[in-house]
Amino acid sequence: MKHIVVKELKELMRDGRFKVALVILVILLAVATFTGVTQYKRSNLQYLDSTGKERTMWETQGEKNPHSAAHYGTYAFKPQFALSLFDYGVTKYTGNSIFLEAHNRNEASFSEASDQTSLTRFGTLSINFILLYLFPLIIILIGYSSYTKEIEHQTFILLKSQGIHPVKLVLGKWMAIFFPVFTCVTILFLIMGIILSGLENLTFFSWIGLISLYTSYIIYYMIIITITLLVSMWSKSSGISLVSCLVLWIAFSFITPKVATNFVNKDHPYPSKSEFLSAIENDMKNGLDGHNPWNEAAKQLKEETLKAFGVDSVSQLSFNYDAYRMQKGEEHEAEIYEKHYEELNKITQEQNKTYKGLSFISPFIPLRFLSMDIANTSYNLHWKFTSATEKYRIEMQKFLNYDFKDNSKTGEWSYQMDADTFKKLPKFKFGPPVLLQILKENAQNILFLLLWLILPLGGLIITSKKI
Amino acid sequence: MIQTNNLTKTYGKFNAVENLSLQVNKGEILCLLGANGAGKSTTINMLLNFVSPTSGTAHIDGLDVVGNPIKTKQALTYIPENLMLYPTLTAVENLDYFTKLSGKRFNPKKLQAFLLEAGLQHEVHEKRVKTFSKGMRQKVGIALAIAKESRVLLLDEPTSGLDPKSSNEFIELLTRMKNDGVAILMATHDLFRAKEVSTHIGIMRSGGLQRYSESSDLSLKELEAIYLDIMNFKHMH
Repeated sequence: MKHIVVKELKELMRDGRFKVALVILVILLAVATFTGVTQYKRSNLQYLDSTGKERTMWETQGEKNPHSAAHYGTYAFKPQFALSLFDYGVTKYTGNSIFLEAHNRNEASFSEASDQTSLTRFGTLSINFILLYLFPLIIILIGYSSYTKEIEHQTFILLKSQGIHPVKLVLGKWMAIFFPVFTCVTILFLIMGIILSGLENLTFFSWIGLISLYTSYIIYYMIIITITLLVSMWSKSSGISLVSCLVLWIAFSFITPKVATNFVNKDHPYPSKSEFLSAIENDMKNGLDGHNPWNEAAKQLKEETLKAFGVDSVSQLSFNYDAYRMQKGEEHEAEIYEKHYEELNKITQEQNKTYKGLSFISPFIPLRFLSMDIANTSYNLHWKFTSATEKYRIEMQKFLNYDFKDNSKTGEWSYQMDADTFKKLPKFKFGPPVLLQILKENAQNILFLLLWLILPLGGLIITSKKI
Repeated sequence: MIQTNNLTKTYGKFNAVENLSLQVNKGEILCLLGANGAGKSTTINMLLNFVSPTSGTAHIDGLDVVGNPIKTKQALTYIPENLMLYPTLTAVENLDYFTKLSGKRFNPKKLQAFLLEAGLQHEVHEKRVKTFSKGMRQKVGIALAIAKESRVLLLDEPTSGLDPKSSNEFIELLTRMKNDGVAILMATHDLFRAKEVSTHIGIMRSGGLQRYSESSDLSLKELEAIYLDIMNFKHMH
């Protein structure tokens, strides 16, 4: 088998088309790496700078009424995860920061896409693009004629007459395609790993995460190599083989994911933004409003509180009832938000479930989900981020309302919180899930990827014995 | 060395080869003559196990070709009508690759010696074979047989398209290999070359062996007459 690999590689290295493709690929990789790292450093610096400045603004706002501070609010920023260099995922569209304020759960804003011109729709050259689209194309260019050229050049007869076992032959050809791809991908990941680990103020970089991402892509390329060889084996000419491989590449990488998206949107549609906000508003109308002491829910809360503390009026309470009511209002509003966002999350989960279920029609789908999750750029991660910010917002409101409640009397709206107290509010921290959890959540995707590898490989070995 | 017993290959109702029994021993060359479609190439393809026989058996070096497809192939060298090599590899690299596939390993000097022995000039050993003529490629094939120490050589129209000089050189090489004890089965249309090189001659028609005799028993004229007689018989029927 070694001899077949060496001979195939020798032929490949002498093939002008391969040399040109290799040079182009190296140039593209160099450009993508340089721009990617530069962009990442800039974004990470922005994140660190914004986080620091926002916290300073919060801590140095001086004496202020806590509820005014709650409305003044603060921003929570999503970290720029190091592995996002390899897979941008949905980060361009989901937004990087959330404004945290009293009464409202805000959506993330300031996405990269919204910050850029419409030219960004054309896409950018990124490592992500090269890994997902160009490498499979290079594999096709290397492998589409593996068998057909033997038949076209009439070397197959002489080859077969040497008594070489067909399985050894096919595995040799497989290895000959895998070896250059493996070398390029390994060098790329190694260089990126070294660059990333050398960056200052790096956010959440781990070599294990990088290796997992690398392994996922290697498995995907193994699948593409196997399918390319199968097509080459079945095709009557190199032309047919090339066209068939390209059709499969287009189907796997572009058509299937889009069809799957249409399919899940049809089966599990999201409510429109206005529908979603109206539903929340309706629920809010009938519930406790911290600012409105005259609605039914507020009256009921007052009665319950007076009864619980055994007093006749709120002025007899040892704490500021207005602040207490506002906290209860916050809790009620948070529950409503939680309910509606949970419904939204359920739809997302259903969509993901259906989407992942369609993985049997393209290995691109399980790879994409796995890659985005490992790179911490998936919608799943974004959901975890927004949930964490909401949790923090609730804690923040509690911190402010409790200070107001415990340090002032009912009706004392002029109360101002001590300037230093703002520093006591814990900082917002968000870390991605641990790798093991990510892999567990992606068990189905990993299984589909392995099936996509094993089944065509089995087909390849069986077919090799028949030609 | 080469033996077939009632070897038959049918495609539907068409008998490509029918009850063919023949034997080629060490140091013998059997030339199979016959028109296109007579079954010569199908016979060779069955000996290579490229085509499975419908019935009957074929043996190479005492081994059944169907039961031992890899071992029997390793024992033989096959030179098709148009032997093609990997165009981007040199003659030495091609020879190196094919010998390694057969389980043999030689250093470059030894490989060059085989090429020289097969009549390929030293200057072209390191040249890529895309510029080689058919005769030069055939010589690489013979070098492969020498390197593999093949006990059996199967040739399918090896001299067709060769210029007279190359054809002569090729026949000389075959004679030398025959003298070294190689069993050679050659399918050809060329009566003159067949008479010149073979020890035995078989004439095939419609998948069957119509005539089998020692070459020394026939003059070229007699061979031609018998051949035409068999072919005319075909046309009459």
